[in-house]
Amino acid sequence: MSNRRLRINEVSVEFSGLRALDKVSLTIETGEILGLIGPNGSGKTTLVNAITGQVRPSTGAVCIGDEEITALSPRRIALKGITRSFQQVRLFNDLSVVENVAATSLAKGLSLRAARQTARELLVDFNLSDFGDMAAGALNHGDKRRVEIVRALAGDPSFLLLDEPAAGMNETESDALLATLAELPASRALGILVIDHDMSLIMRLCHRLHVISSGKTIGEGSVETVRSLPAVVEAYLGTSETSP
Amino acid sequence: MNRHLVTLICITLPVVLLVIAAELIDDRLLTRLATTLCINMILVLGLQIFTGNSGILSFAHIGFMGIGAYTSAVITMPARLKSMALPELYPIMQGVQLDPLVGMAIGGVVAALVAAIVAYPLMRLSDAAAVITSFALLMILHTIMVHWSEVTNGPRTLFGIVEATTLQLAAAAAVVAAIGAYWFKESRVGILLRAVRNDEVAAAAIGAHIPLLRWRAYVLSAFYAGIGGALWAHFITSFSPNAFYLRETFVILGMLVIGGPATVSGAVFGVFSVTAVFEGLRALEKAINAADLFSSTVVGLTEIILALVMLIVLILRPGGIIERNEFGTLARWPFMKKQNSSRGE
Repeated sequence: MSNRRLRINEVSVEFSGLRALDKVSLTIETGEILGLIGPNGSGKTTLVNAITGQVRPSTGAVCIGDEEITALSPRRIALKGITRSFQQVRLFNDLSVVENVAATSLAKGLSLRAARQTARELLVDFNLSDFGDMAAGALNHGDKRRVEIVRALAGDPSFLLLDEPAAGMNETESDALLATLAELPASRALGILVIDHDMSLIMRLCHRLHVISSGKTIGEGSVETVRSLPAVVEAYLGTSETSP
Repeated sequence: MNRHLVTLICITLPVVLLVIAAELIDDRLLTRLATTLCINMILVLGLQIFTGNSGILSFAHIGFMGIGAYTSAVITMPARLKSMALPELYPIMQGVQLDPLVGMAIGGVVAALVAAIVAYPLMRLSDAAAVITSFALLMILHTIMVHWSEVTNGPRTLFGIVEATTLQLAAAAAVVAAIGAYWFKESRVGILLRAVRNDEVAAAAIGAHIPLLRWRAYVLSAFYAGIGGALWAHFITSFSPNAFYLRETFVILGMLVIGGPATVSGAVFGVFSVTAVFEGLRALEKAINAADLFSSTVVGLTEIILALVMLIVLILRPGGIIERNEFGTLARWPFMKKQNSSRGE
């Protein structure tokens, strides 16, 4: 992958007059993990939806490198190399785990054989190969979340957006996930945006943080910088919001 | 043996056994029944290709059956019959008289072409909107058949169609249809379409082209309907547009829904089980009336019990009798290699 960046420039989103996002700007570089944090209802998921085309921004622009992708459909944005996971897991429950992962490559136009091959390899990398032939709907919650991440990776994306990947996982599972995710930017040359309420995970995993509250950016920078910003402490870290 | 092979055998073997039984017994009624069953199987499998894989109920299917039936009927009819059966036919078509097999193939292709044109804008719709528009499409196709006197003889019966459908031909087509439907389900398009059925948002987010996937299934589904209609036309040899309307729609839909729309196994099972129950009840009704048990004749027993069976099946198993697993994964077959985990458990 080339050293492109995903740039979100002053993006606002309105839902019937209510401003869910207010001129948020951020950049994700290839090879880095950016943490997006903020209280419940602050607009984190809306920002991910605006990037991936599920929600259309009312103003602002989303660009990969020099190419603007703001008004494109979710399908086109996915094919441009941005894939995601969802806050509520959305797997194809009737398909097998292999088929779930293979679907991403199939959508990109790979042959069935090649897509299955890629899927099996990825599942081995993520220690999920034992479940390959099981129906995805029969997996436990933590494994479903991991399969969803693998499915997003199968299209060989340039940018991966993860909406609460560790939600509902126990400490062992989330530690294992942390280890896996931490390696991805370097090994697969991609940029990752992570939303999570698990502060210990976010602090250990992310290279940089971006904090929003009520749809506005209230802080950004390194983990250390953000941790000491008074506005952030007041809006977020200082309150009970730190527990999931 | 792997699960695909087991499934393919299970969905085609009943047809083969049926043909052998019909040959051995050599009863005219049984042969006609078996032929009808094979044609219905093609129609149900066609509906399964679209409805089963996309999860969208289509009422228009039987309309495409009508297109196939009329197309093949008209282009294969001998010229001397045409002047009687279709007095208003366009002069350019009066001399056309193709071989029935060619006519059937063209019937399927024409149905597919019409579907390809009308369906494209419809494939963006989901849920109730998609179902209602498909119903509207059935009404449009029916109205055209009723009023296009030049090629359909209007609402009147079209007669004089070449008799060409034998049990062997219908059975061979049904076997190919079953293999084709299973192949489609397991193909690239089939897998992606089933992904869309499970979750449209997630499918779009991995880059699936939802309308195009649905459209491909729809065109193939209409091709099946057209072939089924053409086979039926050359079997029954006279019919009116009413043959391709609500009654037939509900018979085909009922077979698919009772059997299990999500699986090819379910579609095949639905055709055989509903036909068996239907014919059994009809024989029972006839026997009761012959024995003069009641003061008045018993009518409608077949329809009522069939409707009740449908209600019971849908209450107990909303996904049909064979809901999720094809025959190959339905049971742990003794001759199959042991697997660590079987799907759908």
